[in-house]
Amino acid sequence: MTQMLEAVSIVKSFGAIRVLEDVTVTVRKGEIVGLLGPNGAGKTTLLNIMAGYETQNSGTVSIDGGCIDSLPPEARTKAGLARTFQSGRLFPELSVTENVVLGAIGAGASIKVANRRALDALEMLGLTAVMMQPATGLSHGLSRLVGLARALTANPEYLIMDEPAAGLNNHETPALLAALESIQRESGCGMLLIEHNVGLVADACSRVFVLASGELLFEGPPEDALADEAVLSAYLGDATMGLPGGIA
Amino acid sequence: MSNGLLPSRQLIGVTRFHWQQLLGPIVVVIAVSYLTSGVSASFSYLTEGALALLVMVLSLQVFIGNSGVLSFGQAAFAMVGGFASGLLTAPVKIKENVLDGLWEPLKAVNMGIWPSLVIAVLVGALFAFVTGLLLMRLSGLAAGIATFALLMVADNVFFNWKLIGPGPQVMPQVPKFAFVDESIVLTVIVIIVVYFFGISRRGRLLRATREDALAARALGASVWHLRVLFFTVSGGIAALSGAMYAHHAGAVTARDFYLGFTFTTLAMLIIGGASSLWGAVVGTILVTAIGQVLLVLEGGVTFGSVEVTLPNGARGLVIAAALVVILIWRPKGVTGGKEFNLPFLNRKSAAAHDSHVQRTDANMNIKP
Repeated sequence: MTQMLEAVSIVKSFGAIRVLEDVTVTVRKGEIVGLLGPNGAGKTTLLNIMAGYETQNSGTVSIDGGCIDSLPPEARTKAGLARTFQSGRLFPELSVTENVVLGAIGAGASIKVANRRALDALEMLGLTAVMMQPATGLSHGLSRLVGLARALTANPEYLIMDEPAAGLNNHETPALLAALESIQRESGCGMLLIEHNVGLVADACSRVFVLASGELLFEGPPEDALADEAVLSAYLGDATMGLPGGIA
Repeated sequence: MSNGLLPSRQLIGVTRFHWQQLLGPIVVVIAVSYLTSGVSASFSYLTEGALALLVMVLSLQVFIGNSGVLSFGQAAFAMVGGFASGLLTAPVKIKENVLDGLWEPLKAVNMGIWPSLVIAVLVGALFAFVTGLLLMRLSGLAAGIATFALLMVADNVFFNWKLIGPGPQVMPQVPKFAFVDESIVLTVIVIIVVYFFGISRRGRLLRATREDALAARALGASVWHLRVLFFTVSGGIAALSGAMYAHHAGAVTARDFYLGFTFTTLAMLIIGGASSLWGAVVGTILVTAIGQVLLVLEGGVTFGSVEVTLPNGARGLVIAAALVVILIWRPKGVTGGKEFNLPFLNRKSAAAHDSHVQRTDANMNIKP
């Protein structure tokens, strides 16, 4: 059996509006996969369905062959699927460290193990300088990194990230890329990266899925996506400026 | 500071056991209790009553403070505890003579105060668990209304159903605590329980659900399970409070635990600061002290040639006004929701730790 996170033939409507139309996305263990698409393409809806926050009209979500459709979000986390949020969604009254420790505690780790994992995650993402700070005062970029550290402490088999690079500056984005590669190397975790930063996706991912208007437009290596005319016209457009490989 | 002698991998900024946060409230409660109860017999009686209220406020803190869900129904569990402990300890003859409609097995039973307290806690916790299975599916306004309905149902049942109590009458001859020490010991035990529940894994997860339930679920926290657990613990502690109140007053009636009791204890929690154990202690002490001063003033006091007499009901009015002021200008309460902390003790503690590390390193020939 292939170790894989699968969302197969997902269909989702909100009232009369069809948001996702027969979309299939797979993430193998140890692989970083990108999910691209313009605003309103259905990326976050798909993420919410995979994480258990939305219910699909049809299709199935499974982890390593086991269907998880009936599981609520908290049970999916315990089954090995962690997620991050677009806005970080940190607990504002708590310190950065406390936020990160809770990721491990929620997954069932003892306090001692949770503390160790939190320290590892904070060090890996270069967050030790802000560990004492209350989460409420962090920049958007740092909030996302703390949210990523928090998700990592759950030791997930699969991790879905909702725009982790949004708000990061030119120094922080390469650090995030290095962290993702480090996570991949050390934990063997499969990652689905929903991102607008095409350069980051191209550098980090071995495969990408491109969504447009709720339909899957492309699946394959990122360099092929960047050369695909349908993808370029539907999504990239002028954003191709500055892409790796000189496409512009 | 560690002067670089401590291991480099330190986790800071995280909830952990801190002796000050636990011992501070305990020392203050013991000190204030003995100081006030030593003044006179009436002050001793007052202190016992205040300790029963403090236990109730702690029961509110462990649930409301950690979950952020406002409950008006915890007094129902105090009612259950008060009746359970009262019925189990009142003399059989009294029950036969006064409570003629009482269920026969309850008439026949008679036990000491301490075992009755244990049973009261268990019954209160069980009642909270059963009701919590349904109520804890609610949040916000719906939870507030539903828990208030629970209080009304409990009051109506205890006020009218003579099979389980005296109905609208007072149940007399409930044995009283012999000393204030018994109330102090029970309160200290509750403080310890509440503190350790607060810093436990589940306590920390519950506080996360209070801040952002959606994000907490993504961490694996089951909001419903956590709320039911803490509602049950809170119910058990509230029942103990009711039992303590019954053994303090020597009598029990359903109306002891109704709206006035609910309002006073919630005001104590909010004025002190709902999110900390220290806030519960400070709020109870403050409101009790202010209430007693106003009670004296309601009776009339002469300062020199001036006689000051406040109208009856001024006490409730002032506490309500204080509650409004706190909610508007200091919503985290007078403690700011912080736990007991004396910074100079922290410095001494850190200095002692550094000194110990230096001594240890010197013994092991480790150079900084």
